Amino acid sequence: MRDILASIKRTPYQSIAAFLVLFFTILLSTALFMSLSFLFGFLSQVETRPQVVIFFQSKTSENDIFKLKDELMSTGKLSSIKYISKKDAFNIYKQSNKNTPLLMEMTPQDLLPASLELNAKQPSYLPEIADHIKNKAGVDEVQFNKDIFEKLLSLTSAIRKISFVLFGYLIFMSIMVFATIILFKIALKKEEIEVLRLLGASNFYVRKPFLKEGIFFGFATAVLSFLVIIATLLYFSSAITHYLKGTSRLTFTIASYMFQIWPISPDFMLLTLALACAFGMIIAFIASFIATSKYLGR
Amino acid sequence: MIQFQNVSKIFALGNTALDDVSFTIEDNEFVFLVGPSGAGKTTILKLLLHEYYPTSGDITVNDLQISPKKIPHVELLRRKIGMVFQDFKTLSDRNVFDNIALSLKVIGMPTNQIKQMVMETLELVGLPEKEFLYPAQLSAGELQRVAIARAIIGDRKIILADEPTGNLDPKTTWEIMRILKKLEGKKTFLIATHNTDIVNSLKKRVLVMKNGKLVKDLKKGGYEI
Repeated sequence: MRDILASIKRTPYQSIAAFLVLFFTILLSTALFMSLSFLFGFLSQVETRPQVVIFFQSKTSENDIFKLKDELMSTGKLSSIKYISKKDAFNIYKQSNKNTPLLMEMTPQDLLPASLELNAKQPSYLPEIADHIKNKAGVDEVQFNKDIFEKLLSLTSAIRKISFVLFGYLIFMSIMVFATIILFKIALKKEEIEVLRLLGASNFYVRKPFLKEGIFFGFATAVLSFLVIIATLLYFSSAITHYLKGTSRLTFTIASYMFQIWPISPDFMLLTLALACAFGMIIAFIASFIATSKYLGR
Repeated sequence: MIQFQNVSKIFALGNTALDDVSFTIEDNEFVFLVGPSGAGKTTILKLLLHEYYPTSGDITVNDLQISPKKIPHVELLRRKIGMVFQDFKTLSDRNVFDNIALSLKVIGMPTNQIKQMVMETLELVGLPEKEFLYPAQLSAGELQRVAIARAIIGDRKIILADEPTGNLDPKTTWEIMRILKKLEGKKTFLIATHNTDIVNSLKKRVLVMKNGKLVKDLKKGGYEI
C-alpha cells in the first residue's frame, strides 16, 4: 500500500486521470448492470404471470379439461399448468369485488367459466401452444397476448445487444485510455526502469508496481461507483417505490440463486459490488499489462 | 571470467563501434579501459550488460554465452554485474538507503538482510549516517559513492564503471578510486576512463581502444593512446 501511495504521489496528474477514466467506466457499467437487473426483474415477473389462459365452455366436463391438461403437459413445452374451476373463479371474482356486495348478489355462482392457466418453458413456444388449443373441442376462448410477448422479447433482445455493444465499447475505451496513461507514467519513470533493468530486475518486478496500482485503482473506483449508485438509489427510493406501485418485489435468477433486486437486498448489493470490483480490477490489470508489455517488449 | 572473441559491433546506420576485439579478463582482475571518445569503451560495457548484442564474435561472462540477440533470463546475468555511471543514475525520489537497497530488492532479498547489508556498504563507501538523505542533499562525490555502493552490494562479482570520476574534482576522484581499490581482489573491475592520473598511478592492466579496435593490452600499463 505504501508503494502504491508513493507511486501516486510521484505522478499525481496521471494518477488522477487514470482514476477518473476508470471511475467513469465503472460507474456507467455498474449503472448499466443495475438497469439490466431491474429490466430482467420485470421480465421474470411478467413471465410468472399466466401466459396463456384457456376458457372452457360451460358444458365442458372436468374430465375433458383434465385430459387436455395431461396432453399439454406431455408436450414438454410447459413449465406449469393450473386448473381454475368455476368455483375457484367465482371465489377470485368475489375476492376482487368484495367492496361491491350488490354486484356479488347479482352474479350467479356458475357464471364464470373454468379455465387453465399455462406458462411455457420458453416464450417462443407460446404461439404454437395457443394455435394448438384453439381448435380443441370444449374450448371457448384462448387468451394470449401475442403482441405484448413478442414486443417484450424483441425489446429485451435489443437491450441485451445494445448493452453488449456499450459494454464492449466502454471496456475497449477504458483499456486504451488507461494503458495510454500508464505509458505516460512509464515514460516519467523511464530512468528508474532503466536502472532497475540494469540491476537485474525481472520484467515482473518492473511491472509489479504498475499492476498493483492498476488493481488498486480498479478496486477503489469500483467501491466509489458502487457507493454513488447506492446513494442515488436511496435518494430516489420513494420515487422508485411510487413508480413500481403494485410490484412488491423484483427478482432475477443467476445459476439457480435468486437475487431480490427491489427492494434492494444485501445479497444483490454484494453481487453488484463484487462484479464492479472484479470488472474494475480486470480492466485496470489488462490495461497496465498491455502498457508495460509494450514498453518492456522494446 | 570475461571473454571477448573477435567481437564486432556495427550499428544499424552502418557505423562500426567495435571491430574484431578479443580479450580475456580473469576473475578479480582490475582493468582499465582507455581510449578517446568514440573508441568503443561504452559499447564494450553495454555488450557485457547485454544492452547491445554483437554483430559478430562471441562474448562469454562466467561461462555464460551472451552473444545471441536474445538470451534467456538476461536479468540473471545483470544480477552478477554492478554498474557505475558517470552521471550516477541515482533515483532522486528515493533516499540513500532506498537507492542502495534497490540492488538487493530486485533479487528478492528479505528486508531484514537488506538493512544490515546496506549499512555495512554505507560504512565501506564512507557514507555512514547518511542513509536518510536524498540525492538532492548530496555532493557529486557522495552521489558517486551511493552509485558505487549500489553496484558493489551483494553478490555482484563484476563491476563495470563508465567514466566514474568524469564529473568529479581530483580530490574526490581519488577518494572514489580508494573505495574501488579496497575491493581489489574480491571482484572483477573494468573501468572505462579518461583520467590519465589514475591510470598512470595505479599501474593496473590497461586495454587501449582506438576507432573500435583494441590497439594495446598492457599488463601494468599507464595511460597511452
